[in-house]
Amino acid sequence: MIKVKFYSLFKINLKSSGEEYEFDGAITATELISKLDADYDGYFSHKLLEAGEISPGSIILINGHNVIHLNGLNSIIKDGDIVTLFPPSAGG
Amino acid sequence: MGKINEYNVLRVDLTNEEITKEKIAGENVKKFLGGRGLGTKILYDEIDPTIDPLSPENKLIYATGLLTGTAASTGGRYMVITKGPLTNTVASSNSGGFFGAELRFSGNDILIFEGKADHPVYLSLKGDKAELKDASHVWGKGAYDTTEMLIEESGDEKSRVSCIGPAGENLVKFASIMNEKDRAAGRTGVGAVMGSKNLKAVVVRADEKQVDYYKDEMMKVVRKQTKMLKEDGVTGEGLPSLGTKVLDNICNSTGVYPTRNFQEATFEDVAEVSGEALMEKGYLQNNKGCYGCPIRCGRDTKLPNGRSGEGPEYETGWAFGADCGVNDLNAIVEANYICNDLGMDTISAGATIACAMEMYEKGHIDKEELENGPELKFGSSESVVYYTQKMALREGIGDAMAEGSYRFAESKGVPEFSMSVKKQELPAYDPRGLQGHGLSYATSNRGGCHVRGYMVSPEVLGVPEKLDPQELKGKPEWVIVFQDLTAVIDASGMCLFTSFALGLDDYTEIINAGIGADYSSEEMLQVGERIWNLERQFNYEAGVTPDTDKLPDRFLNDPLPDGPLKGNASKYKEILPEYYELRGWKEDGFISDEKLGELGLE
Repeated sequence: MIKVKFYSLFKINLKSSGEEYEFDGAITATELISKLDADYDGYFSHKLLEAGEISPGSIILINGHNVIHLNGLNSIIKDGDIVTLFPPSAGG
Repeated sequence: MGKINEYNVLRVDLTNEEITKEKIAGENVKKFLGGRGLGTKILYDEIDPTIDPLSPENKLIYATGLLTGTAASTGGRYMVITKGPLTNTVASSNSGGFFGAELRFSGNDILIFEGKADHPVYLSLKGDKAELKDASHVWGKGAYDTTEMLIEESGDEKSRVSCIGPAGENLVKFASIMNEKDRAAGRTGVGAVMGSKNLKAVVVRADEKQVDYYKDEMMKVVRKQTKMLKEDGVTGEGLPSLGTKVLDNICNSTGVYPTRNFQEATFEDVAEVSGEALMEKGYLQNNKGCYGCPIRCGRDTKLPNGRSGEGPEYETGWAFGADCGVNDLNAIVEANYICNDLGMDTISAGATIACAMEMYEKGHIDKEELENGPELKFGSSESVVYYTQKMALREGIGDAMAEGSYRFAESKGVPEFSMSVKKQELPAYDPRGLQGHGLSYATSNRGGCHVRGYMVSPEVLGVPEKLDPQELKGKPEWVIVFQDLTAVIDASGMCLFTSFALGLDDYTEIINAGIGADYSSEEMLQVGERIWNLERQFNYEAGVTPDTDKLPDRFLNDPLPDGPLKGNASKYKEILPEYYELRGWKEDGFISDEKLGELGLE
């Protein structure tokens, strides 16, 4: 099972803390976004991606590691992984 | 009416109760812009850096920024510059709200307070009239009552008040100065300096907007930049919706969320205290903005007991929350309100309690010392409220804690429990997880601080681009640019949060448009570099030398015990020499004569 956590505006706008999915084998971050898009009417690619790339400031974490420092949207997500998603955010 | 690049200075001699007017224009404005920059220049020129910060020889400078009071987006900020009692370094603390713009409108761009009044006073600025008035009746009162009483006394409900609370009067080393009740020049103990001078408040009401700038040229740029701020994902959507507390879950998920006095880096109860929880639990009432702000990240909140106020911001919520192991959002907000009313920095207050909790749990504080107060144990929501109040009033053990975590822990023989740099408490990002941010902490001119070079932005948030938080290569250069650009923004009177959407060229463009100047971006960044170097030179002369460019040993010796970055320690020492070299400083960290000459600081 892959656990997907929604925070910030994702959590508030979708009124959901996330999803749990079962896949046959490992998937890529792109494939996960496609699955989420299917369940949420294209919301996630609209919010997380820009021209097929991760939009500036959007955060996709696999087990706490930003996919940008893994293999980008081709990063592998395996059974048991936790994926965390944030729209562009800042503070301080 | 003064031109925008000519500062009207009001010099207030509190000892002799004399007020005189001066002007600052020309070369110093060109070199330091205003706000933090020009204020530091005045401080450096006028005081002996070795003086006791709480003696009458110290000066307290209120400085508006170059664009404060203009149409610039977020251009409403003022800064308080002095020698700080917590760090013994230059202290400069920045605040929003509406006070700064009103001060600029009144034609009093910079206030210099000298000496010490022989009884409590406040400065009243109404139209052309500047006078010191007796403040005995508000001495001892909180920022809320003081603000309301002095507005009523001014006879004009539109008057703006900047004041200290009892913490400033009691010389708490991290006392703040508050304006509009809940806005704070929070850090570095500027409120204690104000208290040491028997100065309770500044009340200002302008007759007309006395700020003369190139409006037409500037409005074109303002329109463009406002659009950029509105369309940016962070400043247009993220910050308005969730405020700064959106960071709780981000920092916790990435494993840089300091927990229980930086013993861990993830907090198991983050869901109870996050920005999302503040909204879901119904505490959040509205978002609000400061003068000229299209972002509006401020939070109006209300507790179930009916008490209301502003906050908590991310750092505040963390300091009283995860850092103290507390999962009770109600207590966190309550402690925030107490800090605002009594006039105390929330970060240092919460982090000092966290330090005391670790000391208590490890046997360095006896139960008897708490008198009948709650036990200083991690997770105690009762403690964060109780000891916040005790510190502000300097009662019981709160008296020793009011000296800040470093002096408190040192007095018990365990300074290593203080998570501070140059004796100022670190904010809400673990430097073991963020190598660039750790270097920024170690080299900050005002001690432990996140707003002197916010490397969290590239290392966690991916703004303006995502950097690997554990990578060392290239980090010194990034830290230097962030530090220098931040100094420019602080001197301009705009809010640092605009930098999530704007860059160096944008600040250069709006400053040039507003004052009719022709700085190149390179020259503008050099202004920031000049400010940074002058602050550091002041610190040397105050006796705060490069050997204080360091993080607590915990971050080097104890790798992160949990979270995604488990096993990492800070490696800032490996990149500190490169930082010095790129700064053009000597190997020992002192500024070279060549660099001082290049910056016109001989």
